[in-house]
This record gives sequence, C-alpha cells and structure tokens, in this order.
Amino acid sequence: MFDSFLIRDNSLENVVKDGKVVGFRFGVRIADYRGCILSLHNGYYVEVDGVVYPREVQKFEINGKPPRSFEELKTCVWEHWDYDDEGMVYVEKEGGLAPGKHHIGLQQSVLCAYGYMATDEAWVKEPPIPGEGAGSGKTNVICYYDLELQK
Amino acid sequence: MIKRGVSLYSYQQEQFFKRMNLRDMVKEVHDNLKTDGIEIIDQAMIHQYPFPSDDFIAEFRDLMDEFNMKAVTIDVYLDTLQFRDHVMTHKEGAERLIRDIKLAAKLGFANVRCLCAVPIDIIEMALPTAEEYGVKIGKEIHAPFNIKPDVGDKYSLRASGMPRNPRMCDEVIELADKKNTKFVGLVPDMGIFQYRLNEPNFAYLVRHGANPDALRMINRLAGAGIRHADIAREALLANGFSEADAKIAGQIGSFSEVDPKDLKDIVPYIVSIHGKFYEMTEVPGRPGEYEDVSIDYRNPIYWLKQGGYDGYINSEFEGQRHKQDRGMDYMANEVEEVRRHHEMLARYIAE
Repeated sequence: MFDSFLIRDNSLENVVKDGKVVGFRFGVRIADYRGCILSLHNGYYVEVDGVVYPREVQKFEINGKPPRSFEELKTCVWEHWDYDDEGMVYVEKEGGLAPGKHHIGLQQSVLCAYGYMATDEAWVKEPPIPGEGAGSGKTNVICYYDLELQK
Repeated sequence: MIKRGVSLYSYQQEQFFKRMNLRDMVKEVHDNLKTDGIEIIDQAMIHQYPFPSDDFIAEFRDLMDEFNMKAVTIDVYLDTLQFRDHVMTHKEGAERLIRDIKLAAKLGFANVRCLCAVPIDIIEMALPTAEEYGVKIGKEIHAPFNIKPDVGDKYSLRASGMPRNPRMCDEVIELADKKNTKFVGLVPDMGIFQYRLNEPNFAYLVRHGANPDALRMINRLAGAGIRHADIAREALLANGFSEADAKIAGQIGSFSEVDPKDLKDIVPYIVSIHGKFYEMTEVPGRPGEYEDVSIDYRNPIYWLKQGGYDGYINSEFEGQRHKQDRGMDYMANEVEEVRRHHEMLARYIAE
C-alpha cells in the first residue's frame, strides 16, 4: 500500500550533531490503513545508491520524542504510531549523503497481525530482518524513490 | 429494510493525503449518500489508541450528534506480538478486546467487529463485558472463510499464513445459543461472494510481472471450486505455464465458497455487514447504474431480505491500494466509488 508515497519526497536531509554530519534522515508514513502499537515497528530495509543500512544503525522519531532505536521501541507496548502521523527514519552514516539525487529502496517492517500466526513464537525469538518480505505488513515489495538531498 | 452505511476505511487514501478528515467523511455520508451508518477502524481514527483523550471522545460524539449519525461498528484488532517478549496469551487477548469494548461504548458504538482469527475462548471471556456495556461482538466472516463448515484442508494457507478454521461461524452461533445472548454474532463481509480476481488487483499483479493468461486460468480454476495453491500450481504447469508464471497460484486460496442462500439462515446472528468492493463500473446498457464485476451482491441481498435482515451494510472500498504504485494520476477516486456503491446498494435493497 502507498507504494509510491511511503517516503515524503522533499524530506531527505543530512543530520548534523555537534557541528558534524553524522547521518541522514527522511520522513515516512505507515504502509497500512491503520496505525500501529509502536512496539510492533521492527525497522526498515534501507538501501541508498546500492548500499544497505541495517536496522542496527537506524532510529525512529515519532510522538514528539527523541529518535529511538528499534530495540527501545520494542518496549513501547502502550504507545501508538497514529495513522495520520509522519515519522522520521534516522540512519547513522559518518559524513552523511552527498548533495544531489539519491536512489533509495525502502521496505517497512511492522509486525501487526490479524490474530495468532504460525510465525509468532519464532518472531518473538528472532524478528524477521526487514527486506525479505516477512513482517512487512501491507507492502511487501521494496519501493524505490529518487530523492534530492534537501540540506 | 436493510440500512446503508459506510466504513470510513473506504476513505483511507483521502485521509492519508489529508484531503479529508473525519468531519469531511461524515459530512459526505450525510450530505451526498443521504444515510446515517458509520463504521471506523479503531487504529485509523482514534488518536493515541487505546487511550484517546476525553476531548477526542467528546468531539467524536458531538460530530455523530451534529449529523444525526449512528455509530454502528468499530473494527478492532488482535496484535499477538504487541508485547514482543512473549506471544500474547488468550487472557491478554481478552483484555485487549475488553478494553476495545469499553472504548466502543465510550464512543457510542453499537458493535465491535473482531477478526476471523480471534479464538472463540477470547470472545467468551469478553462476553460479560459486552453484555454489561451493551456492545455486541461481531466476528467477521472474511474471505476465504465460509458460512457453513467445510473441508478445511481444501484451502491452502494464504501467502500471509493466516490459519483458517472451517467451523468458525458454527463456533460463534453455538456460543450465542449456549449463553442465550444477542451480544455475540457475525459480521459477514461481502467479499465472501467474490468469484474472480478483482480488476485492480489483476492489473497490479500484471504490472508486477504476472502473466495475465495465468491469472485468467486462476479465475477459471476458482470457478471450478479449486482452492488449494498446490493444485492450482500443478494445473498451471500442466497447461504450459512456467514456474515463474505459476508463482501466483496462491491467489486461489483467497476465495470463499458460499451459497448466497446461506446468509438467510444466519440473519438472527448478523451484527452488521461489510460491503467490500474494489471497483464500481457502469452496468453495460444501463447508464447511471453500477456494479463490481468480481462480487455478487444481488443474490446475497435478496437472501438477506428473505431472512428479514434490517441492519446495516457498510461500504468497504478496497480498490485503492492496488493503484498506489503508479503515482497520483492513476489513483482511485474513493468518494466517487462509494457513491456508486450506494447507488447499487439502494437499488438492490429496493428491488
């Protein structure tokens, strides 16, 4: 769902911390027709110009709180990512992205369900790695975007 | 008389792009569809579910009052991995349903829709709360579930791996009879009367590499009663399709196999109905009249009337998602689709 619209097209920018560029970020919407309990958000497959950035270097910003790692989000079992709201995906990358256009591949992983599934126990032990389609909710393809770095 | 309503799910794309808010949707139902039934998805509409502010609840109730709307059904879910460190127990699942029932009551809803895959003991645990708060629990009959018990192993697991209980409806009916209660029942989805791949999905699959002839063969196999992906796959290969073409065999598991007449028998247990549809096109030779060519509506509505059903059919438009890979210019017009659906519903109800 919303394949062409999961990333806001004017949202890609580098992230500066203490005067140094430490990574990049972009705005995303949920690939579903409903929001989700935040604990179920399991990260992204993020590919920029052919380089894959794993979940371990990603953080997610929502509900006016500082960006949180996906390990932290696991404990947010009573917090909601509302359907209407945009979240920001932060990716650590020393020096950030170069100015100009970037080719970004994205698959979002949200482990929401319609009831008990055969994969439940396995996913408690080891959640799926985003990008393989499992746990990708309503959009199980990798969606591609050509985005201009804003700043 | 059967009543018409709308699940605001139908306007999910307008909401996503912030072209319509809750008020706009309710106003559309009132002003242009000239009816009063409202259904919502809890996690799409309720800010900071499951703990909305008192202001949100008051505003929602005021909006319903302003337009003389009936809050018919709220659709609730069961995210079994919510706690992440363990699979939700049935007791925790019942606690979620109980919380949802109380929230439904606060918002003024008559019913909660719970999902096909919610175990019956969770519903039984929540039933006293439903009775106390005056909110009915309706279990959805979504494709590929059937009304009458069937041979379960004929159906393949869908790509999603969703388990399918062939006795689902009977379990609900038995519980309602055992407890002698009106507070548990069924929410049939008209998608159970879908008999071929819907056009938006067909076109989406082709754009993403499927062979249209293989999809047509899936339609023919489905018409012949095949529901098992392995059988469909073998049939495709035997007819000269490649392994790659046969990858779409799993689509065969998405159809129900329901005689429209079966609806008549379950009318006393029907809480409300989902009017699932994908694309309304003009009936050939009948300007201004519309139909979804993949779903039978006429016969099911006939049998609902025979059974004396006087509840709501709430439009549930789902054709938008299969057009969202093509950019803004090709997207579905949700408002127009729902208006056409109501033209059809009104016509069949009056027939």
